[in-house]
Amino acid sequence: MAHALLQMHDITKSFPGVLALDKVALSVRAGEIHGLVGENGAGKSTIIKVLAGVYKADGGSVAMDGETLGDVNPRTIHAAGVRFIHQELHLVQHFTVTESVFMGQELSGPTGLRRREMTRRAEAFFREALGTELQGSTLIRDLGIAERKLVQIARALIDGAAKLVVFDEPTAPLSSGETKKLFAAIKRLKERGIAMIYVSHYLAEITDICDRVTVLRNGRNVAVFDDILPDSADAMITAMVGRELDALFPSSNHAAAAQMLQVTGLAHEAFSDVSFEVRAGEIVGIAGLIGSGREELVDTLYGLRKPSAGSVVFDGAPRTFKAPRDAVAAGMVLVPRDRRHDGLVLDMTVSDNVNLASLDDISTALIERRKAGAEKAAGVTAQLDIRPPNPAAVARNLSGGNQQKVVLGRWLTRGAKLFILDEPTVGVDVGAKVEIYTLVEQLAADGAAVIVSSSDPAELVGLCDRVLVMLRGEIVAEVQADMLGIDHLVALTTGGQAA
Amino acid sequence: MRAVLARYGFLLIIAGFFAFFSLYNPAFLTLGNQMNMVEGSAVLLILALGMTLVVALGGIDLSVGIAFDMGAAFAVVALKEYDASWQVACLVGVLGGVGVGVLNAILIVGLKVSPFMATLGTFFIGSSVQRIFTNGGGPISHRRMPQEYRDLAVGDVFGIPTEIIIAAVVLILYFIFLERSILGKRVHAIGLQRSAANVAGIPVRKYMFVAFIIASATCAIGGLIGSANIRMFTPLAGFSYLLDAIAAVFIGASIHPKGRPNVIGTLIGVLFLGMIGNGLNLMGLNFNLKDALSGLILVGALALAVGQKRLR
Repeated sequence: MAHALLQMHDITKSFPGVLALDKVALSVRAGEIHGLVGENGAGKSTIIKVLAGVYKADGGSVAMDGETLGDVNPRTIHAAGVRFIHQELHLVQHFTVTESVFMGQELSGPTGLRRREMTRRAEAFFREALGTELQGSTLIRDLGIAERKLVQIARALIDGAAKLVVFDEPTAPLSSGETKKLFAAIKRLKERGIAMIYVSHYLAEITDICDRVTVLRNGRNVAVFDDILPDSADAMITAMVGRELDALFPSSNHAAAAQMLQVTGLAHEAFSDVSFEVRAGEIVGIAGLIGSGREELVDTLYGLRKPSAGSVVFDGAPRTFKAPRDAVAAGMVLVPRDRRHDGLVLDMTVSDNVNLASLDDISTALIERRKAGAEKAAGVTAQLDIRPPNPAAVARNLSGGNQQKVVLGRWLTRGAKLFILDEPTVGVDVGAKVEIYTLVEQLAADGAAVIVSSSDPAELVGLCDRVLVMLRGEIVAEVQADMLGIDHLVALTTGGQAA
Repeated sequence: MRAVLARYGFLLIIAGFFAFFSLYNPAFLTLGNQMNMVEGSAVLLILALGMTLVVALGGIDLSVGIAFDMGAAFAVVALKEYDASWQVACLVGVLGGVGVGVLNAILIVGLKVSPFMATLGTFFIGSSVQRIFTNGGGPISHRRMPQEYRDLAVGDVFGIPTEIIIAAVVLILYFIFLERSILGKRVHAIGLQRSAANVAGIPVRKYMFVAFIIASATCAIGGLIGSANIRMFTPLAGFSYLLDAIAAVFIGASIHPKGRPNVIGTLIGVLFLGMIGNGLNLMGLNFNLKDALSGLILVGALALAVGQKRLR
């Protein structure tokens, strides 16, 4: 058995009102890929941040190579050979690959920067360590997302001192082809003897590449899997959520009724001639890759972008939404794809965020009735099982799934007629996913129309009645979901197969 | 203990200075001097409240001084040239401020210029207009202004100076508006995360437009008091309030638990700046030291605020 490279023992960390980590242990052996899984809010990010020295643990110890680190801060941890590949890329668009790799660690000689040497080393690193050919002179903005991820990895590892690399959700923005490319690079790093911690929501990836897996739930260790088999995923889900999940998707109880939305010939720079209808009590999916025009279509419907042609009839009347407030006033609401930026006011409380769109209901003569607002928020918090169940908590401190529930909760208090959910479960853990799906089903059963725009084919197939497939700015197919397999949908969105 | 220090650090500094000035010069603590101090802060408070609104929206207003000047100029000209009653003069003065606000609002909301650049432009334009209008900056004095107008600055109600009463009314209105009403909640939401406020259906542009006008109109009220006090309109007089107003707002934000611009914090910031000025004055120290001390203390307070966040 390989010796333990990293040993974190009894790590405890609390935030005001929340015990985020309760005597958590994490042990990574030399040369292994160690998976770290758990629902949002389970403590994955917290323990990674403790390791990075961003948070100071209240108790516990961290040892590298058998030596306990007295003070864990970003410098000592870097010196110990631990590197972090964060979810965000943090790359400068207009820099070349070489400049990006050596940013902040440039090589210089007596005559200034040693550009040729840096390019040679960067290209050699890509070839040998990551198994890909990348020109040092290419600009970052001309690279695909997977390649940018590789540049980010190269930047962390180019000094050759890395012993342990932590990947935080590295594949979240990647398509499946790009994911394969990244995995090839990760496997090469493993061959070079570098240990890795791999944090991800995608259990298929975890079972694919990890040697061992630690599962966290509510800030505690619940399981460590030493042998990963293809069917370990089910056991992991059980460990993560603490209950059996027979099905991700609720059974369908809704039925389409009268027409709610009729879009005719809608056009914009990013799409053209889009026509479709959505009925009350119906869940309609929109599928499409990044760049298919799907995001722009959603924005245009909601008044965030201006259409260049076409008409929209909503709830029985022709509409032109100049701004989201017009859409909201008419009863159309959006749960945006970028919830941290567009969905929530992160520094406001859960209560304020829930009430933000219905402040009129909790005021008298424009003066806010704080108690009414708090009660309303408490109701939503309980109804959607938002954790922590504290309406006074600041939205920033909630996990992704709970943040998404807050955005949904805001619109529930208004009773909208059409819900547009854009990437409703990105960065959301399995447990919250199921709750969100159940809620969507409930909305449709209560007679609302729902549009789900998503890059997750399983979600579209499992949740929707019909799926519109967008490809290069056009709707190329409209398929009944029960006739649709996931493989078929993927083929349609990638243009691999005609409808 | 450290947590307490960090949380109330700035208030402790204020208390410390207060105690120091009181011990150094007994005249500091007299009722008369305290009243002077508060009265001397009234106009700054009014301008700083306008600034608080704009900063809470995520902007900045470098033209508060211009709105102050326009308030004074319009009112004095109305009184002197058109024999207007004091009520009409006040109204006209506030409308002068509204004009400044409309210009800002058009630049920022209509033409999408950043608030910093737009209000800087308004500042330059407004300064130039004043110089042209007064042939290079001479004051327009009006010795025989109606007593009611004059009383805006020098009168009192039941022994409390009118200035303080006006500032207190503005303060209360701003407090209700920004900290208690749903309009203020929306203003804060826009200032914290504009795109999220927009998606939540808040008419962001409308709020920005109106807020810049309200802020300038508020500053014009300061201008009315200023002109009543010296019985004249002095071009570019408002400029001296700009940096103090910004300082007061950011002192106020730094002592807020969430670091937000807020009405009570601004009040504390204004009173703090007033106390430093008054106290140093009584010490007979070089008055020029006041800005240096204010600056040091402002930076110190911000450092404390950052330390306070790190402690959490």
